[in-house]
Amino acid sequence: MTPIIRVRNLHKHFPHPIRRKEKLEVIRGVDLDVELGQVVVIIGRSGAGKSTFLRCLNFLEEPDEGTVEIDGVEIPAGERIREHDRLITEIRMKTGMVFQSFNLFPHMTALENIIEGPITVKKWSRERAIAKAEELLRWVGLLEKRDEYPIRLSGGQQQRIAIARSLAMEPKIMLFDEPTSALDPELIGEVVEVMERLAGEGMTMVAVTHEMHFARDVADRVIFMDGGVFVEDAPPSVMFTNPQHERTRQFLVHIL
Amino acid sequence: MNREYMIKLALVWVGIFIVLVLMFWLLKFDLAFMAHWASFLFEGIGYTLLVSALSIFFAVILALIGALARLSNNPLANGISTFYVSFIRGTPLLVQVYLIYLGLPQVGQSLEALGAPGWLADLFVLPAIPSGVLALSVNYGAYMTETFRAGIQSIHSGQREAALSLGMTSAQCMRRIILPQALRIVIPPVGNDFIAMLKDSSLVSLMGVMELSWRATKIGRRYFRSLETLAVAALFYWIMTIILQMFQARIEERLGKGRKR
Repeated sequence: MTPIIRVRNLHKHFPHPIRRKEKLEVIRGVDLDVELGQVVVIIGRSGAGKSTFLRCLNFLEEPDEGTVEIDGVEIPAGERIREHDRLITEIRMKTGMVFQSFNLFPHMTALENIIEGPITVKKWSRERAIAKAEELLRWVGLLEKRDEYPIRLSGGQQQRIAIARSLAMEPKIMLFDEPTSALDPELIGEVVEVMERLAGEGMTMVAVTHEMHFARDVADRVIFMDGGVFVEDAPPSVMFTNPQHERTRQFLVHIL
Repeated sequence: MNREYMIKLALVWVGIFIVLVLMFWLLKFDLAFMAHWASFLFEGIGYTLLVSALSIFFAVILALIGALARLSNNPLANGISTFYVSFIRGTPLLVQVYLIYLGLPQVGQSLEALGAPGWLADLFVLPAIPSGVLALSVNYGAYMTETFRAGIQSIHSGQREAALSLGMTSAQCMRRIILPQALRIVIPPVGNDFIAMLKDSSLVSLMGVMELSWRATKIGRRYFRSLETLAVAALFYWIMTIILQMFQARIEERLGKGRKR
């Protein structure tokens, strides 16, 4: 079976923050294949390039080199063909993304946040979008918050709405960029629980997270990233008990 | 603020009014004269409001286009926008008013001399009210371009990322996500601009539009009672701005939804 995510030789650099003429290499040649239904967790210290890598998958960051292929849509880096923007939109419609800071639209209620994508992007009728949104609100356990504005919701509730908002686009892949890092400890559980259920329903997921319980219990593969490369890629049972690389071992000692 | 302080504050205002009335009395203000001409002056408010409302409307459109151009990656759009803002903010409104009212007809004349058809030249001779509206909207549009740009830029980048990740195009994201939020932010400064414009609209009196200050100066000069007529005009302007401020507060309240806990 061809993988649903296929990344080859991905490179990404930013202008160096201080030394203007130099480049800051953030991703230095990464390959990744993810099969349909797999849950992949990327771990590593901050600055390792995890979030940048994830954002390259839906082109919130444009890779400088390499190719990204999502569900048969292939985009080579640096291409400036006219098709480019259309292909990026196609990839974004196949992938949902959940952000560390939720990024709910503050001027819209929970329901309006969720129906916005289907109505604006997929041109669904309002009735159809609302039916879908209510189903998702029930699924994340927040149907009673349907008409609340985000500011009146807790962080955990906001993140669950954000997940529902992504799911409303019926994506094939969900990307999670440190979804629990901005949450108070007592609110992490409810978000992780939703992510676990999502994985249980067979969603293909790539998550950057510090939730080691989630990695251990739910992930099919755990990838340790350091210095812009994938150092180790193993099932959680191996990664957490018998890591092969010294760098992985050092990192795990600190967090476990 | 506590009650006692509010009472003191109110007393100061009352005191100021008493001093003013006393002054009017000492200066032998002709109250009957004021009352007689008040209704004539009042009719000028229509023009004042017309010119201001039309100008703020076009200024907002210009500012929106200007801000989007300023934020675009297109060098042509960006260049035109920065030139526009720089030139307009760098020259006095009075000069701009005259440039349009007196300068444009000359441009038309020169074009005609160069062989342009007469109807084209006529287009450059604007009547007083359109001239005034053009000058005010171009002028305020430049200042408000900067306001709108700041408003758009103040929206957190995460909003754009969330919208794009859903598959929205940049235009959809701007229209559905960024602008509604930016609009709420720029309402107070735009309201301020509207109040300022209400008063700057008196400049169109220079072109002979029979608005409030034109009437005040005309009548005042004719009867050597300028102090009286100008005082009435000032009072009318003042009342209008107070009413506008109340409207502004209500709009801000309505747009504030989703911001209050």
